[in-house]
Amino acid sequence: MKVMHVASEKREEKSEFEPQIYPGQDEVSERRRKLWDKRRRLTKYRDVPDDDITRLLGHRPVGALYVSVHPPLDELIEPYDPIKSLVAPTPGARAGDRIRFAQFSDSFWHPPITPYARQRLYFNRLRGVDVVTYSGRTMLEMRERDLETAVKPLIETEVFNPARTSLKGITIHGHSLRLDEDGLMFDARRRFVYDKETGEVVYIKDQFGKVLDRPVPVGRPPSEEECRKLSITYSWDTRQFKSRTEVIELISRVANMRVLAGFNPESINEEI
Amino acid sequence: MSNLSLKYKDTLDLYDDHSNCIAKEVPLQALSPLYNPYMREVLNLFKRTAFIDLAKLEQYVKSGRAGWETVVGQDEIQMPWYGRDLPMVERSEEIAERIKEKIAKFDDGEEELVKPVAGGKLIIVKIPRRMMEVSASRDPPLTWTMVALCQAISETFNLNPETDPDGCNMVRGAIFGRYPQSPELPPGGPVFGLLRQSNIVDGLGSGFRGIMVNHIVALVNKRTMDGVALATILEQGAQWEMGNVLGWFERYNLLASAYQGFNANNLVLDLVLENREGTIGDVARSTVKRAVEDGVIKVKKTFPSGYKVYSTSDYPLWNAYGCAGVLAAVIVNVGASRAAQSVSTVTGYFGDHLIFETGGLPDPDTGRIEGTGIGYAFYTHSIYGGAGPGAYTLDHVVVRSTSGFLTPCVVAGMCLDSGTQLFSPEMTSSALFKIRDHMPLLNEPLKKVAEAAEKVKGELTKA
Repeated sequence: MKVMHVASEKREEKSEFEPQIYPGQDEVSERRRKLWDKRRRLTKYRDVPDDDITRLLGHRPVGALYVSVHPPLDELIEPYDPIKSLVAPTPGARAGDRIRFAQFSDSFWHPPITPYARQRLYFNRLRGVDVVTYSGRTMLEMRERDLETAVKPLIETEVFNPARTSLKGITIHGHSLRLDEDGLMFDARRRFVYDKETGEVVYIKDQFGKVLDRPVPVGRPPSEEECRKLSITYSWDTRQFKSRTEVIELISRVANMRVLAGFNPESINEEI
Repeated sequence: MSNLSLKYKDTLDLYDDHSNCIAKEVPLQALSPLYNPYMREVLNLFKRTAFIDLAKLEQYVKSGRAGWETVVGQDEIQMPWYGRDLPMVERSEEIAERIKEKIAKFDDGEEELVKPVAGGKLIIVKIPRRMMEVSASRDPPLTWTMVALCQAISETFNLNPETDPDGCNMVRGAIFGRYPQSPELPPGGPVFGLLRQSNIVDGLGSGFRGIMVNHIVALVNKRTMDGVALATILEQGAQWEMGNVLGWFERYNLLASAYQGFNANNLVLDLVLENREGTIGDVARSTVKRAVEDGVIKVKKTFPSGYKVYSTSDYPLWNAYGCAGVLAAVIVNVGASRAAQSVSTVTGYFGDHLIFETGGLPDPDTGRIEGTGIGYAFYTHSIYGGAGPGAYTLDHVVVRSTSGFLTPCVVAGMCLDSGTQLFSPEMTSSALFKIRDHMPLLNEPLKKVAEAAEKVKGELTKA
């Protein structure tokens, strides 16, 4: 059967609505808006080759074929459902790749991104994602080849601070601990070290803590000053209380309205 | 129905999963299980139907297995020395006939109440409406079927305390398990209904939620929007029974279930179509954009940064848009990855995107979808243990805390999964894929809800 999908009515092309992403006038708000707005490009800081990304993830040997959990979608015989043909599958889904994960942990100390901010970034910029945020970590699960494509910019751009953001598949503890003598986030498995000669952070183990054949350098850590500039968190020594008036008004409003609407949905009016 | 008063002025157009309009300007109440005849029939069918897996029973009796306590431990107790070789499948016609004699005589004969299917491996039993009317509970499908089955087997194979006392015990044990010493019937046992037995469902009025997500997926043969409609019928049936839909919440639940569950005004599919190559965040923004265009929300004030704060005078309608949005986001994201596992994530964090796009208007189900979704994500991602999203019953303590708008999304996600789940519908609910062929009522529920609404429209409008 041929499926014809048409939008229910023709809508006016011009709309008053403009995506606004996040409130606030200060620099932290602006940083948040930038990271979460998929129309804006993230600034690239470093180059990490594709094979090194595969090594860091530790799911398959470099050059190995992708393991699949089911036949490619084109060969799969499924019961009839018009919705299945409506959304474009990702390349990994099309090929039937297995699901793999990457997990980032973000330090407390002026990180370029935080766990919850990652969830918003992933939701806005990536397709076919499964994200769970918990304490200092954010797990990202995708079809294997999609995951490799997605992780590359997460390591190469401004959202990665080699010293204070780390790829920790297991044993994540340490995001709120003091930084070590080289300014690195605590890692019980010592997956990354500071190379004093090159001034770069180098991963000597993959995200599971397995020793890599060849270390993977991920670039120089930014200076403290730059960390503060790129920081996405409000704190007493960067952007202070006054600067977050708008977002506080917003979250107070939603807390208030959730209670009122949850109590009686008909009680909400335009004045609230 | 003559005393009906049409309390709400809202009318809706209902669309099928090809985005074709099938019912125009239907009054809101026509989508209430109290007035929609199709929804009533479906709820009735779920209440009064039971199944006998004769092949399974034959195997249990043969190998002397009975009295297990968990679905995965069905070989927990084995007593081969009490095993009896009773060819039940072979003589299924006779067994069915004897069950019919005991059950069907109370009915007016219009319906076929006892029906052996799948070459005699399975018998479908429906309890006469007369009995359901006089019973205080929805237990007869299980009690009647089990008692009638025991008697039928006894008669067919001449089993009685004089001929074979141990054989009698074995058959009884394989059917009833440890009941009533243990309050639960054997999990995964040979006699089962569409809903969980009433004494193990906690929470008043939760009866219609006693079904696993994967069962619903199997009953609609993985057709996404049909699955959503069927889950909505059951969830809203339970919401009415719980008293959650009265007064202040009537229009709220009716609107949200219409937009999310029955594709009202094609909102869900419009949002999916607009974002077929988009992200979850894109769906959130499309939802807000559509609400602005339709006049559901409007700018209340502008912050110094230029950020706009929206307000609404019709919160139930904005909530309906949000609930439709969260379903569309699930379809867009799971449709892209074709892996159901992200359904909890999308439901858990989608509302956050709506809040920050609207300046703090409450997210779907006033935050209950977000709260439940995050907990659900923890339990489906091995953070707190748990299982795959499809293995949850709608009344499970992890997913029950919304007004019935979370599980339809889960059903949609499981319908779209292309085979990545350990707890797949094929694994947990294989019998129901076969059973659905014999239950024509459950074929294309989305279309049938709309047609039934169209049918009562005249009556409702007249009133």
